[in-house]
Amino acid sequence: MIICQGLGKDFKHYQKTAGFVGSLKSFFHRSYERRAAVHNFDLEIQHGEMVGLLGPNGAGKTTLMKMFSGIIVPSHGKLQVLGHVPFEREHAFRKKIALVMGQKSQLWWDIPAMDSFLLLQKYYEIDNRDFKKRLGELSALLGVERQLQVHVRKLSLGERMKMELMACLLHRPDILFLDEPTIGLDVVAQRNIRDFIAQYQAQYKTTVILTSHYMADVEALCQRIVLVLGGTKRFDGPIREFSNILGREKFVSVTFSESITDPTSFWATFDPQWNESRTRVDLRVPEAELRSSAVAILQRFPVAEFTMEKLPIERVMNALLANPQLLKGAE
Amino acid sequence: MASAQLAKWWATIRISWNKQLSYKLNFLLLVIGPSVVFFFVKYSLWTAIFRLEGIDKIQGYDLSNMLRYQIWSLIVALVAQGYNSMNLAEDIRMGRISAYLVYPFDFWSFQTAGFISFQGLQLVTASVTLLFMFGLGFLQHLHVPDLISGLAFSLVVSFFWYQVSYLIGLAAFWLEETWVLRVMFITISQFFSGAILPLEAYPKYLLNMLAWTPFPYLTYTPVKIFMGEYTGSLSQAWLTLLAWMVVVGLLNRLVWQRGLRLYTAAGM
Repeated sequence: MIICQGLGKDFKHYQKTAGFVGSLKSFFHRSYERRAAVHNFDLEIQHGEMVGLLGPNGAGKTTLMKMFSGIIVPSHGKLQVLGHVPFEREHAFRKKIALVMGQKSQLWWDIPAMDSFLLLQKYYEIDNRDFKKRLGELSALLGVERQLQVHVRKLSLGERMKMELMACLLHRPDILFLDEPTIGLDVVAQRNIRDFIAQYQAQYKTTVILTSHYMADVEALCQRIVLVLGGTKRFDGPIREFSNILGREKFVSVTFSESITDPTSFWATFDPQWNESRTRVDLRVPEAELRSSAVAILQRFPVAEFTMEKLPIERVMNALLANPQLLKGAE
Repeated sequence: MASAQLAKWWATIRISWNKQLSYKLNFLLLVIGPSVVFFFVKYSLWTAIFRLEGIDKIQGYDLSNMLRYQIWSLIVALVAQGYNSMNLAEDIRMGRISAYLVYPFDFWSFQTAGFISFQGLQLVTASVTLLFMFGLGFLQHLHVPDLISGLAFSLVVSFFWYQVSYLIGLAAFWLEETWVLRVMFITISQFFSGAILPLEAYPKYLLNMLAWTPFPYLTYTPVKIFMGEYTGSLSQAWLTLLAWMVVVGLLNRLVWQRGLRLYTAAGM
């Protein structure tokens, strides 16, 4: 479905010192730096996979999405999506993909979403029967039947995002690129969008490539994670193996009946994250030490609640961003 | 296949109409605006020049002829020179063309369909202005063949104008601001096209040189065709304009291909 080898994209970054003198200087001589947004990237994605591209801002995730969807031209390397070279932007290729940009609306702002859908029906050459059927299904699944005739500018952010998803799915794409589809949404709207994507993917086996800053999106939807840092791939594998980068650890959360002011170094090895009142702590405990540590905590401190679960990927990401050297073992 | 393409064009034209008609007051002002501007600017200016200076004729034009010339120049401006590429440049700079690069309908086709829809509304405005001026008695003699010929020529000019505006818009792949280019083009074309003064007021050698450029065909030629007074060679006018359209068309293609390689889809 997607094959890239040695893929790279360089951008020119113009530099200008602040103030009038800086403006004057840059008028005569614009200095710039060439930076690699993506560097030597290899990736292979199979039909029907749901892959999460993870990484901090500026890591290169969106640049990858732009190259995969044919919006920008790679600087080097090979890229094939569904047997096409994306940047050649053949109509046959464009009919097979869809791109949802959480930060950019693709719907026409001043008219009802239905007008945009009718336009897309013509663009993707969807016959009337299929169009009506898909429109009915999608609007019912997303619960927006009554908003179809409302001007897009009057919709809430959550409703607008549902319409964006509908616009992208009317032609039943083979690959769906989702760039921050839940950005800015409240938790309920986020969950609705997530549930919809999961349900849709299960039904149509669409290949989904997702970037999101909300780890909950990635955890709920993706079986596979690709971690991008500084434009290079630093991890590629099943989500269950992602937390093992930090070693085999469990996430332990302990709530106390009173504030803990214990100055001992007992907690230090477990990367403790205390709340303000120091009545709750989140820990990363190696599986091998789990039993002994749990016993020690229960014996020494006034424990009110003790929970234990797999390490959430948000926690793994935070640890990796703070200590990128931890990734050496994973590469 | 051809009918599918046609359906895409027609759907784009319709959605552009919907978009432009969604703000009713704005549309109304657009329709009546040109007539109001004519009376406040051109009518007052030329009446003042002729009456206050006690002049009977300027380069063979008396006041009534000059007002006719200015009215037709307003009509030509509405039909042929209304389009600008402000949104295109802004969309490129802000990375808003990304969605159109993904749709299976070419960007040029999308923009051109938008232009055609815009032209439809401009024709409504021009017709309202023309009827208004006719009703007020400024235009006593309207000859249908001249009207048809002038309209046909103006529509071709409008497409050339669109091509140039599109080219200026595409400059946004390289430039952060394209309004200077646009202002330069509009100012130069206003001066050399006869939009400000009839070209009879210009020296002969300059007119001979201008004949090889597209400028005199942008305003002067269609205005004179509408007035039934065009004395030059119509075939030369058509050929020169069409040759320039081919040149700008090829340039557009080249600039789009080169520019797209620089597109960063900012803000996504």
